[in-house]
Amino acid sequence: MTTVQELPQIRGVKNIPLVEGFTSGHRTCQGCESALVMRLMIKAAGPRTIVLGSTGCMYVANTTYYSTPWVVPWMHTQLGSSGSAATGTAAGLASMMRKGKMKEEPINVIAFCGDGGGVDMGLSAISAALQHDEYNLLILCYDNESYANTDIQVSGASPWGANSTFSPPGKEHRIMNKRWKKNMAPMLATGHPDCRYVATACGSYGLDFNNKIRRALTIGGPTFIHSIDPCPKGWDYDPKFSHELGMLAIETGLWVQYEIIDGELILNGPSRAIARGIRKRKPIEDYLLRQGRFAHLTPEDIKYFQERVDESWEEWWLPGVIPLKKNEEED
Amino acid sequence: MATVAVEVVYRGIFQKTLARNIVRSIVFAARKEGKIGTAFGRYGDSPERNGIPAKQFAIVADDAEELEENLARYEASEVDVTINVDDTMCKGIESWAWYGLQPINELTKPGGTLIVTSRQEADDLVQDMHQKDSPYDLSIIRSTVSFSGLWVYKDDHTDVRILGNLCRVCPQLVSLDSMLEAIREQFDNETKVASARRAYDLANVRPVEPGEGNPETPFKFELPGWKEMEEGLVIKAIDEGTGFRGGEEGYQPVRNSVFKKFSTRSMRPIVNFETCIKCTLCWLQCPDTCFDVTPDGLYDANMESCCGCGVCEAVCPVPDCVTMINEQHFDDNSSQYEAWQADADGYKQWMTNLIDVQKQESRTHGFHHVGGYAEEIAESAQPGGDN
Repeated sequence: MTTVQELPQIRGVKNIPLVEGFTSGHRTCQGCESALVMRLMIKAAGPRTIVLGSTGCMYVANTTYYSTPWVVPWMHTQLGSSGSAATGTAAGLASMMRKGKMKEEPINVIAFCGDGGGVDMGLSAISAALQHDEYNLLILCYDNESYANTDIQVSGASPWGANSTFSPPGKEHRIMNKRWKKNMAPMLATGHPDCRYVATACGSYGLDFNNKIRRALTIGGPTFIHSIDPCPKGWDYDPKFSHELGMLAIETGLWVQYEIIDGELILNGPSRAIARGIRKRKPIEDYLLRQGRFAHLTPEDIKYFQERVDESWEEWWLPGVIPLKKNEEED
Repeated sequence: MATVAVEVVYRGIFQKTLARNIVRSIVFAARKEGKIGTAFGRYGDSPERNGIPAKQFAIVADDAEELEENLARYEASEVDVTINVDDTMCKGIESWAWYGLQPINELTKPGGTLIVTSRQEADDLVQDMHQKDSPYDLSIIRSTVSFSGLWVYKDDHTDVRILGNLCRVCPQLVSLDSMLEAIREQFDNETKVASARRAYDLANVRPVEPGEGNPETPFKFELPGWKEMEEGLVIKAIDEGTGFRGGEEGYQPVRNSVFKKFSTRSMRPIVNFETCIKCTLCWLQCPDTCFDVTPDGLYDANMESCCGCGVCEAVCPVPDCVTMINEQHFDDNSSQYEAWQADADGYKQWMTNLIDVQKQESRTHGFHHVGGYAEEIAESAQPGGDN
């Protein structure tokens, strides 16, 4: 295993590096939280980083016809191949350095994918990447809960009931997306016992986000971060609420913030306070009623949504994280 | 009659349904008169992004052959009527697959009409619009600019007001009767029909003379062909940033020089540098890397790259420290920090005035909560409501 860079944890928001690796002039929506995630990611990783991007908004909207907002080297890869591109690049760098064709130095390799590229199409390649523990790499899934680039089609990460191009509510059938959101991070953490770091994150918590990127890049081996990114286009809200909706997702207990370091679960921020009973979860309607994609939900639908969230906190073995329940008779 | 072409220039996603309602209704009305027509979006604008200017077209012809001739184009070379549904786009538009700034009236024919929904005076709008060497008419529909989103449409009758006005300023397109019939069929709402009729009655035009307007040359870029590109089609990365204004302290990123994004903005943040507590949040949470960091630790929003999302205002913990102001009140993209450095008192006065004006205006960027649109349109969704 090659060595990793010195990227100490950042103490306090005022110590976040000023240097930008992802600059202005990208063609994303106003208030695009995923663009912010790109910016925070490369801010934490620093200039000696290679970024690989699978198809999605962060490819199409950023690097159209001979222009780019990236200061660091960036390369496009196919929709389902963020995992393979990351492994290949890390292996290529290691091999070039071993043969003396490149100066020996730790270079961060980050591959990003959207929820379409990661949670749906690229799942097997990500799984393979997380098994190759001889390479240092990070796979960052920026999850805006739909195929937002191509005008909002349902993905495996879209929430129950959400309006989308593939699930328009009708007069007869109101709820067209009947699937519950895939539980991506725990699936990868439990499925890959030698993967040292899996985390969930949200761009609304900038410092926490930076530090998670740094932990992932310095712990060694392949790592994975799943970020929830409010999307003004697909979620249908005024772009100025991007930050607030990210916080609401966490404060309602729908999205849970945690790190799994060497198999140990550490909840962060509001999620930790909720788990310890210090803080009450906000009602889910505070989150749902703010978004046009849920405007068709009835009070019964919202009640069902709330019950599912309650269940995840009250009945799951690892509350909010892993959807397994204890069989009381087995105890 | 030959072909009549109409373009609708709109804010991506926010006004997509509005634009679609307009171009579709034109075609439906034309069919009632035995004409043939088609409505379509400009290919390069798709997939749309919130706020980034986009276009849809309606082309009406006497027969199929004439129509096909016009459809073989990416974008019409000239149009009889340009409809601009957000007055802040009068300053010019930079579409996301387009390079450079396109004047709002670029495609408007000599003697054609530009329809704008606005509460501004005609003379103020003409000042924003780039000069043309041929005359055209400006027709203003007095209404609050209509923004909604992808899934929930704010039906404040802006669509039918524009259609009513259109029949008056471009009589060769379709008659008012055909248009009202098409509106009735599509929306099944007599109040909307009445709104269209009233807009027809109220329509007026202000002639714009050749050479009148903004004398600035809009910025443009040369796109390299594949032969000029580097081996492997490698694109050069953006350079590393420097200190503020190239100095030692602070920080200023280098920015993408071929896409600036500022024409996406319909509101801009103004910063009170005196009450700023340097909490970093506006800078940290900006998705567009807009804020230059000054040597004294303040944050200067760069107006060449700000797209006006409003996140900085939303995250700022100090009241009125970052305030979003309607873009119509500004003439250039100059630095607020530099203005404040040069004349702190003058800056404060200017800022306070703008904040006062903004508090009396209503301008929203879309969906806030379930039921919100119903409250907003209570007044405007009736024939005389918004005039």
